[in-house]
Amino acid sequence: MHAYANPTRFLAIARPLTPWLLGLGLALLLVGAWAGLMLVPGDYKQGETARILYVHVPSAWLGMGGWTALAVAGLVQLVWRHPLAGIAARAIAVPGMLFTALCLATGSIWGKPTWGTWWEWDGRMTSMLVLLFLYAGFVALTMGDANENGGQRQGGMLSRGAAVYALVGAVNIPIINRSVVWWNSLHQGPSITLGGSSIDAALLWPLGLTLLGFSLLFGGIVLMRMRRIIADNRVAARLRRLADDDEGN
Amino acid sequence: MTGVISGGGQWAYVAAAYALTVLLTGAVLWHSWRAMRRAETRSDALRRDRK
Repeated sequence: MHAYANPTRFLAIARPLTPWLLGLGLALLLVGAWAGLMLVPGDYKQGETARILYVHVPSAWLGMGGWTALAVAGLVQLVWRHPLAGIAARAIAVPGMLFTALCLATGSIWGKPTWGTWWEWDGRMTSMLVLLFLYAGFVALTMGDANENGGQRQGGMLSRGAAVYALVGAVNIPIINRSVVWWNSLHQGPSITLGGSSIDAALLWPLGLTLLGFSLLFGGIVLMRMRRIIADNRVAARLRRLADDDEGN
Repeated sequence: MTGVISGGGQWAYVAAAYALTVLLTGAVLWHSWRAMRRAETRSDALRRDRK
């Protein structure tokens, strides 16, 4: 793992990988969305609104998966001081927050025609809203970090406080997952478990395409944001060296 | 059930959900790509100047 602590080595992989992730992700998304809108039949109970599933579930998956990755990155930085871990956590935060917001918005749009309400303060929706606030707090914390030391903190690493915050926030992930089991909810119970799926196979297959497509796209977005942070760090380091040289002369 | 919408009216909700997804995903994609290109161009230019 420490072999990739070197940004140059990381960039040698990230640069060619980025267009592949974005291209493949977009292609899978287009096919999955087209199938979800045009090919599969409407649900026998919910009708056409069930088609929102193909964008709502991947958004929820990326919001929760994003924070899980962010917490792992925080742990890796705290334990091993791996510099790329902090950069990865920073890169994940904004797209993770966006997909969490998208999950809440598409869920709300789905809720109105199905439940007759845009919002309900039940376990699933409230814990997902808490996740959105956690992301917003993390973004604010890391922006504060970036403003320290004239704009740079040890090559893009997180502060100890931000890394601990990422770890503590991970407590909310199992709460979101189990909320529909622990509390009464308008939201349906878990549809896809390790034991199988309660969604009919005729409706399920486009979900696999959009899940994979959104995940690859998310990976591409995170790589682009990591590349940006690394490039900014290099510019700052060079400018510092130039300033030191000038002072030396 | 009170408030439940059925029939053709449902497509408006589906369209709204997909449009919002396209808009927000497109915005974060474009912003990330533009910021990366700008930062890498600046970094490359500075490296060339040093040589």
